[in-house]
Order: sequence, then structure tokens, then C-alpha cells
Amino acid sequence: MTEPLDWRPGDFPYSIDVPTRWGDNDMLQHLNNVAYNRMIETVVVHFTLGPLEIDWRKDPIYPIVVESLCRFHRQLSFPEIIRVGLRAGGMGNSSVTYEIGMFGEDGDVPGATGHFIHVFIDKETQKSAPIPDHIRAKITEHGMQA
Amino acid sequence: MARPEPEKRAAYGYFLDLQSRWMDNDLYGHVNNVTYYSYFDTVVNYFLIEKGGLDIHNAPVIGVVVESHCNYTSSVAYPDMIVCGLRVGKLGSSSVRYEVGIFKNDEDSASAAGHFVHVFVDRATNKPVPIPHEIRAALEAIATEGAQ
Repeated sequence: MTEPLDWRPGDFPYSIDVPTRWGDNDMLQHLNNVAYNRMIETVVVHFTLGPLEIDWRKDPIYPIVVESLCRFHRQLSFPEIIRVGLRAGGMGNSSVTYEIGMFGEDGDVPGATGHFIHVFIDKETQKSAPIPDHIRAKITEHGMQA
Repeated sequence: MARPEPEKRAAYGYFLDLQSRWMDNDLYGHVNNVTYYSYFDTVVNYFLIEKGGLDIHNAPVIGVVVESHCNYTSSVAYPDMIVCGLRVGKLGSSSVRYEVGIFKNDEDSASAAGHFVHVFVDRATNKPVPIPHEIRAALEAIATEGAQ
């Protein structure tokens, strides 16, 4: 398993491009740390809506976040467009850990890396529930590459 | 999966009350996970300003975030009052690990808890520098045993 700083855009089977906004920068002239965490959430949500086809309004089992982490390696800044990559780093009975890399416009070394852990919840009982098989299969397809 | 036990208020040495805002709630009707990091940012910097004399506009030394982390245990929602507890879990020469607990109104168990690591750097060169004396004294005052 490689160190996060060695993660490259090609290591991620799913990615989206996120435009930064003026208000994402703080008074230190780079993206505020919260803006990076927002990008992590954004790629995960897009992944759940797209490949996983989760409809959080209707599905009886849906994911909620229980943990998130971001490591900041080098500064990204407005108006860069950030390539945000996602892969499944691990999966349990009811939880999945996504690994995220954020890449600026000046190369393929990550500006930041992190993870985001979803637990699937039964809407009725509000207790954790096994990840449905069709979702599990899609997550596996987006797992770590050998 | 095993989750960490919720933190208690007594484990923190500094508190800041924040009024949650309408926009903090997301489609699930509770405070969005990313917003907790804004609470972290706010309590840490408020502490540095109030107790450490940090001048965020002119100080030659600034704190940059190198890592942030949060475990979410239970939800908070607008219009709850958000009580942020802060302590120092590790204090190095130029870096500090803050540990933050997020408490809902008057509850004693944290709804969320995480950490936030600052490295202090020279504003001009961006190179790590020792933590300024006044800030270090403030950090030591809320440091846990074994933090140094």
C-alpha cells in the first residue's frame, strides 16, 4: 500500500472535476481546509448517486457518514479546477471506506488526500444494515487497483 | 464496525459556544458533516486569538492545517447551540494537535469529536518555525498529560 503522497490520478477509478470558487479561499490565499472536506463529500455523493444509483429519498437502506479525514500536502487555490478521485479502500458488512485524492492543475502530486467512511442505515430502524448486494458489487468494481 | 466511545465535557479545557445557522443543516435535516470542520476552524482560531494573542492579519507566523479528522456519533441540527470543547493532545516544536469535541446544547456526551493539526510557518517563507512563546503558553494551559 502506497503512502498518500504517492497517490496519482490514475489510481482512482472514479473522479470528478470540481471548480473552486472565490469564497473557497481564505485570508491565507489558499483553499480553506473546510473546502477540501467539501470536495471529499462531493465526490462521495456523486459516486453514490451515479455508479451506486442510491436514491436517498426513497431507498430503504441508505448511507450516512461516520468518519472523515483529510491530509493537506500542498496548497490548492482558487481558480484551479480540482480533479477529485475516489476508490473503495475497504468494505465491511455495513460500512465502506472511500479513499480520496485531490489534484490541482499543476501536476499529478496530490494537494490533499483523505478518507470518508459510510455506514449503511435501515431507514425504518435507524440501525446499521448490510450493504445491499447490488451496491456491494458496484463498490467492489471501484476498489483499489492491484 | 466498532465506534469510539463519545468524549465527555470534562476532557476539554476550553469551550466556545457557537449558534448554529439555518444553512448548516443539509437535506437530512441535521448539520452537514463538512460544517463540523468549520466549527473546528472557528474554535481553534478563536482560542489562538483570545488566549494566544494571535493577530490573524499581521502576525509573522501563521498556523496552516496539515490534517483534520472527525468521528460523527450523533447528529446536531439548527437551531441547536453548538458547544465546542478544545484541548491540545500533542505539542511539538512547530506543530500542535488540537482535539475538538462538538456538544449539542447542554449534553455531556459529544455528538462528534475529532482533531486538527496545525504547523506554524513563517508567513513570508512558508517554512516551519517554532511556535511563538505567547501561543505556546496558551496551548500548554489546555494540554493533556503527556502532550509534550
